Amino acid sequence: MNVSRRDFLKFCGLSAAAVGLSTSELGLLEKALASPSGPSVIWLQGSGCTGCSVSFLNLFTGGASVPSGPGSSTKFKAFLPLVTRDWQHSEPAPNPGPDPTPAPSPSPGPSAGTAADVLINNINLVYHPNLMSLAGQDAVAQAEAAYNKGGYLLAVEGGIPTAFGGRACYAWTYNEQEVTFEQAVRTLADKAAGILCIGTCAAWGGIPAAPPNPTGVMGVKALTGKDTINIPGCPTHPDWIVWAVVQLLLGKPIALDSFGRPTQFFGTTVHDQCPRNGLTKATTIGVDNNCLMDLGCRGPATMANCPLQKWNNQVNWCVDANAPCIGCTEPGFPGTNPFYAPGV
Amino acid sequence: MSTKIFIDPVTRLEGHLKIAVTVNEVGGQQQVVDARASGNLYRGFEQLLVGRDPRDAQHLTQRICGVCPVPHGMASVMAQDAAFGVTAPTNARIMRNLVLGANFVQSHILHFYHLTALDYLDGPAMPPWQPSWKADKRLDKATTDTLVGHYVAAIDMTRKAHEMGALFGGRMPDPAAYIAGGFTTTPRADRISKYKAYLNELLPFIQNVYLPDVAALGAVYSDYNNIGRGYGNLLAFGVFDLDSNGESKLLRRGRSVNGSTSVNSIELNQITESVRYSWYEDSTTNLNPAAGKTLPQSPKAKAYSWLKAPRYSGAPYEVGALARMWVNGDYRQGISVMDRHQARAQETLKIAQALQTWVNQLQPNGAVYTKPAIPSTASGIGLTEAPRGALGHWLQTASGQVSSYQIITPTCWNASPLDDASQMGPLEKALMDTPVKDLKEPIEVLRVIHSFDPCLSCAVHVSRPNEKAKVQVIAGCC
Repeated sequence: MNVSRRDFLKFCGLSAAAVGLSTSELGLLEKALASPSGPSVIWLQGSGCTGCSVSFLNLFTGGASVPSGPGSSTKFKAFLPLVTRDWQHSEPAPNPGPDPTPAPSPSPGPSAGTAADVLINNINLVYHPNLMSLAGQDAVAQAEAAYNKGGYLLAVEGGIPTAFGGRACYAWTYNEQEVTFEQAVRTLADKAAGILCIGTCAAWGGIPAAPPNPTGVMGVKALTGKDTINIPGCPTHPDWIVWAVVQLLLGKPIALDSFGRPTQFFGTTVHDQCPRNGLTKATTIGVDNNCLMDLGCRGPATMANCPLQKWNNQVNWCVDANAPCIGCTEPGFPGTNPFYAPGV
Repeated sequence: MSTKIFIDPVTRLEGHLKIAVTVNEVGGQQQVVDARASGNLYRGFEQLLVGRDPRDAQHLTQRICGVCPVPHGMASVMAQDAAFGVTAPTNARIMRNLVLGANFVQSHILHFYHLTALDYLDGPAMPPWQPSWKADKRLDKATTDTLVGHYVAAIDMTRKAHEMGALFGGRMPDPAAYIAGGFTTTPRADRISKYKAYLNELLPFIQNVYLPDVAALGAVYSDYNNIGRGYGNLLAFGVFDLDSNGESKLLRRGRSVNGSTSVNSIELNQITESVRYSWYEDSTTNLNPAAGKTLPQSPKAKAYSWLKAPRYSGAPYEVGALARMWVNGDYRQGISVMDRHQARAQETLKIAQALQTWVNQLQPNGAVYTKPAIPSTASGIGLTEAPRGALGHWLQTASGQVSSYQIITPTCWNASPLDDASQMGPLEKALMDTPVKDLKEPIEVLRVIHSFDPCLSCAVHVSRPNEKAKVQVIAGCC
């Protein structure tokens, strides 16, 4: 896809600081954007669980046709409703009553945004351990070729364990040398045009880093010192991932908070956007339409737009299933406090 | 002349697996003469759980694996229910099964199309299908194009299976609705009708696309009915309780020895874990999960895996869809690469049909939760199945906090290293005698591995604590 030079320079001026890219890194990104096959993406998995990749495969943004504006890529047309809607300030969806239209989400039409669409038509997924055809050294060679060329987007899923000399997680064996995940991340982060942390683990360590952090897990920025765009969540939401990728490729600025999270999705608490805010407080498990704060809900302390975005093509979300929010998008997740309030 | 081949990473599975095979000519055929499977990730979940409120466990243990989180949620609340002496209401038992069943359907479809099929497909000239190995691709262009189309359609189906699960679970993966004493979600009529509508899309896909594709592949690659047998020992804890005491299940508990059609019982005290070839202190070897220790040690001479070696009465056992369907009497055609795919596909249909029955048993206004009276000291065991096989959680509490949490996962059974008696793990054994035509493209090895549907995150979290982990570093090592 091609982004006009004028748009790209505008992007540079407005958002270089926001995405933390240096001049040389911007040059690399410009090269990536200019590639006709889309940017090369190296997706690494470390001390994680693959939940974020599984969540990504659940992507679905519907199939309505959308107008293309100046600077927009025809490739990402299907995702424009996702990126143009102001998720932060939308009215919370009303509490659903009995639903008159029980049909599930439609099968994707030609202009629908699905994971398949992203993977096949919009990016050049050079390396992904769950999906790629090649195995072993031949697979690693793909990542190496992209590394040598430069200009790739590095997506990291899972944190980086540093105990046991990094041997709590091996990335691969190359030329009969075992390479730890720590070594692989340090190397690949160095020449990446941009680094996306997919999920809470890659951003700050996540559950494996919970006390006593048995394997010394660190997030990507803490390990490498490089600025990263953090898309947290345990798992993260496919819409959040794709939105960030599309912003980068369309040359639109991404405003990040002090934890590296896009304020587009992580600028307001769950509680402030929750349709149950102000309703009677539930005193026991399994009650609809009650506020869950007294059951231990972490909504007031958690930045995420789950009440608006909802989950799995908007069929549900944790609180609407009467499950208190566990705060999975926060740097301290899971923390040490129990998820349920005492006496619940 | 013997050659050692490393495949690291083995792609198209969950987690970190390294395989080393030694290949040599035997009776004129180049084949595997030795095999080692290494689990290459360790996180120490059990250590994280000690000292926590036991009811955090179903949330934390679900993050052992993002492909099969729901079985961990299920095993955890089953262990907690047993520990707290509480019985979940019928609605909750059903919803727990409905969300777990949705995970099974999603996982099995994902496994065949997105993890397995590329071993046999020479697909379009773009990722993820290319670049690829070219060895032994037998499908003609028309069949290949059809399968590629089904691969893409299957992404839609796995998405829908997860949406179906999220209707009751809250979200997928990692549904937050599982809780000791029941389930948080109410079985509203709109959720029931949407769940049924999703099943009406998934069932035709399973019957008219997935099952025929597996059969068609098996016909073209019929030699794989005689590759990858392994020991033929099959074990299942059983899954999908049909009543409140767990005695009746959709797929029963039991084990078969060496391909026998007779089914033996399972006594939990017969389960031990060897660590001689694993990165844990040798003093902790051959302990039962209820009394064990996990003390990581890396580096360690001879060790090559973060997985321990679970054994039943000292013998290695394969777990998974084939084991369940065999023990239940639903599939007894054989034990091989293709038999595993067949059994898995047939199990998908069996479960989807059961889900249709169960969703109609929900009572929209009925109870979903029985509040447990939680004792300060308790213990309970939750035994269930993940898509990949038998799964058990052993919980102990003291002073109201977790004092011990032990897990034995399916891939720990399947991808285990040698035990103290130097017996290979099931996957290692299944690789033995596998023909390898092209040393640069050992596709046959990948096909055997993928037939087990390995999930390495699951395999390597096991622990049994009582002591803090100690790390021994041999002086001079990196």
